[in-house]
Formats: sequence, C-alpha cells, structure tokens
Amino acid sequence: MDFWTAFPYWGILVLIAFNAWLVIRRDI
Amino acid sequence: MDYLQENYFTLLLTFLYVGGCLYVGWYFKRQAAQGVADYYVAKRKIPGWVVSLAFFSTSASTNTYIGQAGKSFQFGLSWAWMGLIWTIFCIISWQLLGPRMRAQTARLQSFTVPDYFHLRYQSNLAKYIRLLSAFIILFATVWYMAGIAKGCAVVLETVLDVPYLWGAAAILFITCAYTIWGGMYSVLWTDAIQGIIMFGVAILLLLLPFLFVGGVEELFTSIRQTEHVTKTGEPMGNGLVTFGSLVSFLYILGIGLSIGMKQISEPKNLIRFYSIDNAKSMRFAMIWTPVFLGISLVCVMGLGALVHGMVTAEEAAYLIQDTDKVVGFMLAKFDNKLVSGICVAGLFAAGMSSLASVIIIIGTALVKDIWHVVLPMPEDKLIPRTKWAMLAYCCATFGLVWALHLYPLAGIVELTAFAGAVFAASFFPGIFGGLYLRWGTDAGALASMVTGMVVNVVWRAFFRFRFAGLQEVHEVIPAFLISLLVYLLVSRLTARRKPAEDHLQLVFGEA
Repeated sequence: MDFWTAFPYWGILVLIAFNAWLVIRRDI
Repeated sequence: MDYLQENYFTLLLTFLYVGGCLYVGWYFKRQAAQGVADYYVAKRKIPGWVVSLAFFSTSASTNTYIGQAGKSFQFGLSWAWMGLIWTIFCIISWQLLGPRMRAQTARLQSFTVPDYFHLRYQSNLAKYIRLLSAFIILFATVWYMAGIAKGCAVVLETVLDVPYLWGAAAILFITCAYTIWGGMYSVLWTDAIQGIIMFGVAILLLLLPFLFVGGVEELFTSIRQTEHVTKTGEPMGNGLVTFGSLVSFLYILGIGLSIGMKQISEPKNLIRFYSIDNAKSMRFAMIWTPVFLGISLVCVMGLGALVHGMVTAEEAAYLIQDTDKVVGFMLAKFDNKLVSGICVAGLFAAGMSSLASVIIIIGTALVKDIWHVVLPMPEDKLIPRTKWAMLAYCCATFGLVWALHLYPLAGIVELTAFAGAVFAASFFPGIFGGLYLRWGTDAGALASMVTGMVVNVVWRAFFRFRFAGLQEVHEVIPAFLISLLVYLLVSRLTARRKPAEDHLQLVFGEA
C-alpha cells in the first residue's frame, strides 16, 4: 500500500488528536 | 418452521431492537407533549454524550454502510479518503458553528434552522428566507428519505425474505411512530443507542475479511495483486492498494465535499447544537463526535476493497457491476448467524437514526416554518399538527418508494448528493454570517441562498458535462464559493438593512 493510499487510515488518528488539542485550548 | 429455525437469531435481535426504539418513544411521550421547546429541541437539556452519538448516527446512514462501503470494491482502499474528508467537515461544524449556534439559538428562542434565519436577520424579508429554506428542506429531503427506506428494505429482503414494499413500510412507519410520540427526546436518545450499535458494527465489519482469510498478511497478499477485473473488464492488478489507480483524487474530493459539507449546513445536523445542555457537554461532544464518526467511516470506507480477498474472480465480476450488494454478499459468505444478526441490527440502526432525524425536521419545517408563518395558529396547535405533518410526509415518502419500485430511477444516489450540495451552498453562508458577522444582512442571506441553488443547477446542467476537464469538478465547489462571496458582497452593499443595534446585542450576548 503506497503512502497516499495509507494516509487516511493513520491520518484520521492525527486529525482526532489535533481536534482534541484545539478543544482543550478553547474556553467555551 | 424452517424459516424460524433459519432466522431465529436475526429475528430476535430485530424485534428487541425495534421494541427498544418504540419503548424510548413511548417513555418520552408525556414529557415531549409539554410544549414546543420540549417537542422541537428537547428543552435544550440533553447531555453531551447523547448529542455526540446522535450527530454521528444521523450523519452516517445505510447509504454509508452499504453504498459507500461497497464503492471501495470498485475504487480500492484509497476510498477511505472519503471518511477523512467527512471528518474534517465534522470538526469544522463543531468548532466553527457548535458553541455559537447553541448560544444564539437559545437567546433568540429559535427552535428550527429556518426560524433562525428569521429571528437573526429580523425583517419582513427574513420571513421569506425562512419560507424558502423550509421549501428547500422539503424538496431535498424526500429523496434522501426514499433512499434510506429503499436501503433498509433491501436488507430486510435479502436477510429475512421480507417482501420489499412491506420492508420499506415497516421501516418508515416504525421510525415515524417513535418520532411522533417522543419528539426530539426520542430522536436523540434512540439516535444515541443506534450510534453505539453502529460504532461497534463498523469495527466488526472491518474484522470479517481478516477473520475469513485468516490474518492481516494473508488478506493483503491476496489484494495486493489481483486477477479481478474492473467494471470495464480490465484487470485490477495492484490497483486496490495504489493511489489514483482505480479512481481519481478529484472524483473522491468532489463526492467527499458534496456529502461531507452536509455537516456544516444540513438542518438535521445543525439542530443537534440546539439541544445540548451546557458548555461542558459541548466540550465533550466537540472532542468525541469526530472520534465516533472518523473511526467508523474509515473502517467502513475501505471495507469493499478488502472483500476482494474473500471472493472468487467470478463472484468479483458479478459484484463489480452492482457494488451495493458487496456488504450483503460478504455477510452471506462469512455465514455466521450471530455476526449476520448483529450486522443487520447495525444496518437498521444506520437507516433509522438518519430517518428519524429528517422526519422531525420535515414536521417542524412544514408546520412551524410554512403553515404557522403563512397562517399563524395558537401555540397549543403546533405539536399536534407537527405530528400529523410527519405522518403525512411518511405516507408520501412511502408512495415515492412504491413509485420508484414500479418505475426505477437510476440517479437516486446522485440526487441525494446533489441535495447535499444545495444545502451546503444555500444554507452555510447565511448561518455562518449570522453567527459571526454583525454586518450580515437579510438581503445577503437571501441572495446567497438563491445563488447557491442557481449555481448548483447551472453548473451541473450547462458546464460540468460539456467541457473536458470540468467533469470531475462537483457543482458544490463553485456553488459554495460563489454563494459565500455573494453573501459578503450583498451584505456590504445593503449595510443599512442590518438589524437594530439592540437586537444585535441580544444576538451576540452583549445585552
């Protein structure tokens, strides 16, 4: 499996972690 | 008797599941009848974890678990980019719209998305924006409802031999019953239960090809180089694991945007923000909704490609012609009653959660945003009439499913994606501007709404398929960009139509 085919499978975890970091920083 | 022996486990699970949904509806019947705030938005008192799961289960439907999962049988593992694109829009929706939408709709006493336009822009023209947006909802949603009812009916027919039209009627009217009884309370709580089932089933579905073949390495060995053919009869070779081989990235981007952008614009998603009980719950939902949605979608979107490891070349040549059959075929091939029963419950959950969400949106749009605006009615008539409107619309949808059964229409999936593009281009600018821009005006919102519809239709009818190179540029891209630009431009040009300052102070929480 090449890099760009595999990307969404691990990219989703990075995206979720990044989103959680953004939410934690906000004062809702 | 053989039928019962053959299907007892699936039947038992199905009855338990349907009984559970109906019980939830009945349980909230009295509470939901207390007033419009209860029936329409569950009095804004729903915990974050329930709303989070409900947002996820509403966003994914049988179209996702059957249609999109099957697509990767044709397009390979890179179809999972769809899941990534959808999750990006889920995050944008919660980060950009969630907290502000909850706050503003509570301050304005808004109960539906069309009435938000009216209350935020506060003018006679805004009344017409409310009416127009309600009509867009009615037209765009009927195809979606018919598509889901069809998807569930196919599952019932293939797994339990229930005649197609009986299956469609059962799904529509069972969902209609618990939605009518418990209003938004039952929609959200059943959605949450369905979300848990769907999350588990997405992971289970992904595991099946690996279990069938006997391991990760074994499965990847068989799909890395395959003799199976594409739809046009060419050998796939290493296409299933090679980016851009079986489908172009532009095509993935177009479909991904048109469906993914529903999450920043479609009323059944946005109405979720209205019901959250407090800021702590909002924070929980902002973190966890992308987890539920993202992981489920990535599991499901790559599933079809993995099924190549389970089927023979002849079976693959048959399935490639109708990829909607891939998931059902995989379950039949795996041949385990327990697994099939659980997965069928998951597919029902996917269909019914989305169906219930749109049924209540339709009822509220018809009664509160059209009937009540044209011919105002006493407050105590709103809920009973909303219930009748929901029942009438379910009957009309069943009529459409029946008609489509007699006279099949090929492009129903395309129509659903097109409806998503109309929502994204027509609703997002007016909502985003309402939430963030004090200088946004009613004229800007109306102009962008009309522009969104017109550009969608014109691009699709006159540009997309007439010029080489534009075929894969989905209409949502030009329509969204142009309508957003029109909102900003017209709002600037009609600055004097801005609502009064004391109203804006209420909207932005400065009063």
